[in-house]
Amino acid sequence: MSTRALRDLAGVALVGVGLGYALSRIGFSSWDEVHAMFTFQKFDLMIAFVVGLVVLVPVWAVVRKVSRPRWLPRPIHQGTLIGGLLFGAGWALSGACPSIAAVQIGEGQLGGFFTLAGMFGGNFLYSLAHERWFRWSTTSCVED
Amino acid sequence: MTYWPGWVGGIALALVMIVHWFGVGRMMAVSGRVTAIVDRLRFGRAEDEEEEMSEAELLAALRAETTATFGPDAVKEATLETTDERHSSARRSPQPFATHPLLFVAMGAGGLLATTGGATSTWMLHGKGFVNLVGGSQAVAAIVLFFGGVLVGFGTRMAGGCTSGHGLCGVSRGERGSLLATMAFFGAGVVTSFVLGSLL
Repeated sequence: MSTRALRDLAGVALVGVGLGYALSRIGFSSWDEVHAMFTFQKFDLMIAFVVGLVVLVPVWAVVRKVSRPRWLPRPIHQGTLIGGLLFGAGWALSGACPSIAAVQIGEGQLGGFFTLAGMFGGNFLYSLAHERWFRWSTTSCVED
Repeated sequence: MTYWPGWVGGIALALVMIVHWFGVGRMMAVSGRVTAIVDRLRFGRAEDEEEEMSEAELLAALRAETTATFGPDAVKEATLETTDERHSSARRSPQPFATHPLLFVAMGAGGLLATTGGATSTWMLHGKGFVNLVGGSQAVAAIVLFFGGVLVGFGTRMAGGCTSGHGLCGVSRGERGSLLATMAFFGAGVVTSFVLGSLL
């Protein structure tokens, strides 16, 4: 295995543990906290998201200047709006964005297994639907 | 359970995205990794992943082939070009497939660490609101979670990203598609939650 492959694996392991820990401590893995965010009863989750953005904007601006990375652009396409709406409805229902099901399972909220199964199933369903009906470019994040 | 104040959480989330960029050489994108796993299950190994050569071996082989075909001068020219490109493109080659499932296992480990052994394992989600929503029934909970998960998986692949790739990393780079997707999923989350709230 090449050193870069090892670096990728170590990096992903570190980032995964960090993200899982942070999401749990912020409250993103709690259905009740997510519900309170979406119904404007509590603001800490929303503040966490916005503060995250505020920190990232200057960081990416510097990275863009210094190392001129080839970030794939994320233009609006036919699936952007509808896909986002469906995802939001699913998030409110299950309390989980894609990271959360795994975090919940680690916490002992084993209901996360159903969410995780549904998420992989839904991703698979979209890939079938896309090939049959849509065919626009969705510029999947994984290429970034 | 006391949660972090929002600003602490925000700094932590940003740090995770920054460490991912510098450690793995690409933007964090959780739903993209779901896609990678699903496609691997559907189509098997991608051709570029079957490549057993390391980058150094590949370069050496390319150099030998170029010398054989075009002569040594061509190699010099090509080397100049690749070193110029190196900064941006060297990091774009495919990651080992294992990074995709590994991320989910690692996030689970992070959740386990955060509970510090205090939580009990149940097939229900913890929290009164959700238990009320499903009327205390594990069967209803399983159906709601699975259906919600299907919407999450379908929607994120359709939109080409989720809270990490579009929400945090896309919006902060000023990407218009990310901005629209993020407004859409927060908007739909708000509307759906108010409808669910009226059922609680």
